[in-house]
Amino acid sequence: MKTMEIEILSHGSVSPAGIGTELLESGFPMMIHPETGGHPVSLVGRSDPALQKWEQSPRLRRASPISYFMVEAVSQALGGVPGIDLSRTAVVGAFFLGCMAYSVRFYSEMHAGGRRFASPILFPETVFNTPLSHVVSTLGIGGPVHTQIGDKSCWATALRTAECWLRLGMAEHVVVVGAEEFDPVSFHAFKAAGLLRHGRLIPSEGAGAVLLGKASGGSPLLSHLADGYGFPSKRVAGEAARECLASIPGNDPVMPSSTSWTAGIESRTAGDRLLDPWINRDFEASTASAAWNTIRASKLIAEGAFPGIVVPCWGLTRQFSMLHLQAGAAEAKAHP
Amino acid sequence: MTTPSPIPVVVTGYGCVTALGGTAGTTWGALLEGRSARGPVTAIEVEGCRVTEGAQARLPDIPRLSSKRLARLSRAARLAIPAAGEALAASGLLGEDGRCRVPRLEMSVATTACGMELGEGFLRAILNAHPRRTLGMVSHYQAQEQVAEIQSVYGFQGAAMIVANACAAGANAVGHAADLIRSGMAEIVLAGGYDALCELVFAGFDSLQTLAPDACRPFDRNRSGLMLGEGAAFLVLESEEHARRRGAAVRGCVAGYGQTTDRLHLTQPAQDGAPLAAAMKQALRSAGMEPSRVGYINAHGTGTRFNDNAEATAFLGTFGDTDVRISSTKAALGHTLGAAGAIEAVLCLMALETGALPPQINVNDPEPSVARLLVHPGERKRLEAAMSVNLGFGGSNAALIFTLSGNRS
Repeated sequence: MKTMEIEILSHGSVSPAGIGTELLESGFPMMIHPETGGHPVSLVGRSDPALQKWEQSPRLRRASPISYFMVEAVSQALGGVPGIDLSRTAVVGAFFLGCMAYSVRFYSEMHAGGRRFASPILFPETVFNTPLSHVVSTLGIGGPVHTQIGDKSCWATALRTAECWLRLGMAEHVVVVGAEEFDPVSFHAFKAAGLLRHGRLIPSEGAGAVLLGKASGGSPLLSHLADGYGFPSKRVAGEAARECLASIPGNDPVMPSSTSWTAGIESRTAGDRLLDPWINRDFEASTASAAWNTIRASKLIAEGAFPGIVVPCWGLTRQFSMLHLQAGAAEAKAHP
Repeated sequence: MTTPSPIPVVVTGYGCVTALGGTAGTTWGALLEGRSARGPVTAIEVEGCRVTEGAQARLPDIPRLSSKRLARLSRAARLAIPAAGEALAASGLLGEDGRCRVPRLEMSVATTACGMELGEGFLRAILNAHPRRTLGMVSHYQAQEQVAEIQSVYGFQGAAMIVANACAAGANAVGHAADLIRSGMAEIVLAGGYDALCELVFAGFDSLQTLAPDACRPFDRNRSGLMLGEGAAFLVLESEEHARRRGAAVRGCVAGYGQTTDRLHLTQPAQDGAPLAAAMKQALRSAGMEPSRVGYINAHGTGTRFNDNAEATAFLGTFGDTDVRISSTKAALGHTLGAAGAIEAVLCLMALETGALPPQINVNDPEPSVARLLVHPGERKRLEAAMSVNLGFGGSNAALIFTLSGNRS
């Protein structure tokens, strides 16, 4: 467990419920995708004017949906702090699957037409860091940039990177963004991995972003972070979860955020510390979901509903991590 | 990292697997002999590509793993596990049982393609409507799986940051590990990168017509592209104090790190070299070092027209009036993508330790702007500092500075 010294200053979101963090409390719409055999999915409305406006940007004309989700979410987060110095702002992107749509398209076309006819236009869009490169270029961000990958728990690792950069003075602010885009192949992968057998997992997509700065007392604090609690098999995952939660000080409530097979582990680990479930808990957009949970916890604390909340990031493959958010000094005074 | 740090970061062990050798020592020996690993690519399907040659590694044995377990691993894991083991052993972190002496060891890792051949196999199964027996492909494809395999083989756990900043990622992984230590957030980190040849990436570069049809010739006026390769490298980084406490021998220091993003174009670096020059200057500033103290640069040097132009311009602007020596080892080892920055970090440390410099091979007609700076075969130089630079798609630029001891001017 690591003690942290950073604040969540603002946030942004693109979700199936719509554009903006206010809509996270609305239910995500579901649909039956023709390629998921009747299993529901929940997708972002791609024709939303707030997303389509980015088509004007030269870098985004041919970009994948995930780039649009990210640029909009990051833009909202940056807009929360007027006058921010973009040259001293850094970005960390966290991804579970990343730019799936173009990767699948590139490979499928090559598979059908032969390697000689692989698309030079599509190939660069398959690279993990391309979406974040588009974001940085479009918004004019000038600080360090990291694209990080892993399961949902890599959201916590990305936050830790942000803290490192803030501590070393490499940036004044850091945006951390989690984003995923749906492709039917990812549904098939979930199915092959057995993640749909347990119920409680509706594939989803979108982006969530938080803008972080050094603690000054006025905003919810990201006070502790427990990451790197790996489990070589699901059999021992419960122990990793218990160790992870035990490393967070205090007894603050835990935000329910599990899907699929981690649901049982979550209830056994957190017990009566679990808050009422979020209306959209079962929609799994991996790192974007982790971002949304962090944003919701931050808002609940800012509203004075709780002095602190633990947000678990239940990685479905290898690791668990947890964040501890607490009221900043000003909020603690307002809501003793 | 922007200013010299109060916490010196040292390297206590390293290891690598490349197409020229299964260890750092064998790779180094072959490099100094001026050998190139170029040959037919047989590990993956390349039929139909314009270019079918590259730098393919021979997978080292991993005696501790059963043949059944080896068969389940991605090619990337087969490269990464021995490289990490060599680094851990060299730093004195492996016990006699081959397990890591510390139960929790943070990792900072780079890759661009993970265990891609397994992902490709899964995709083929879906496209061919045969999605059966695909669990093994799905469950061993992603980057966290290769990291978990390393942790499992050597018996440790801990946080793992996996960076995918394209071809600069390996340098980012090493630089970030140093930042974690400098910031006081970690005392010891296993840092490195890996990538294996795979169809998607090979055909992708082939589609861009950036693969050299014959020898890869960095900084040659007649250069015609890059040679794809594969490999892995890991380094054990720790605070000087931590190394001293456990009695570990210091092999070198990470003295400086800089990173910038070129916002101009997704795949082509700015031809004035300014973003790369800014990364190099950041690294120099963080090391508290004048350019004249850097005696050797391991260039990114892919052998493409755009990369080498931008890089040469950046070198001249930053080191033009010094006697720095430059070579790109990609002519010999191929471009190993996410592994490149980590492999080249190891080579910089070996140059510092031995005084030998890896020669610039395959150059017959050098670019006039850098001709006098390129390393000749057999050249030796006593180095105070060595720099490794990398550029990647998405505009990623990174520069690392290594010294033998001490990281302050």
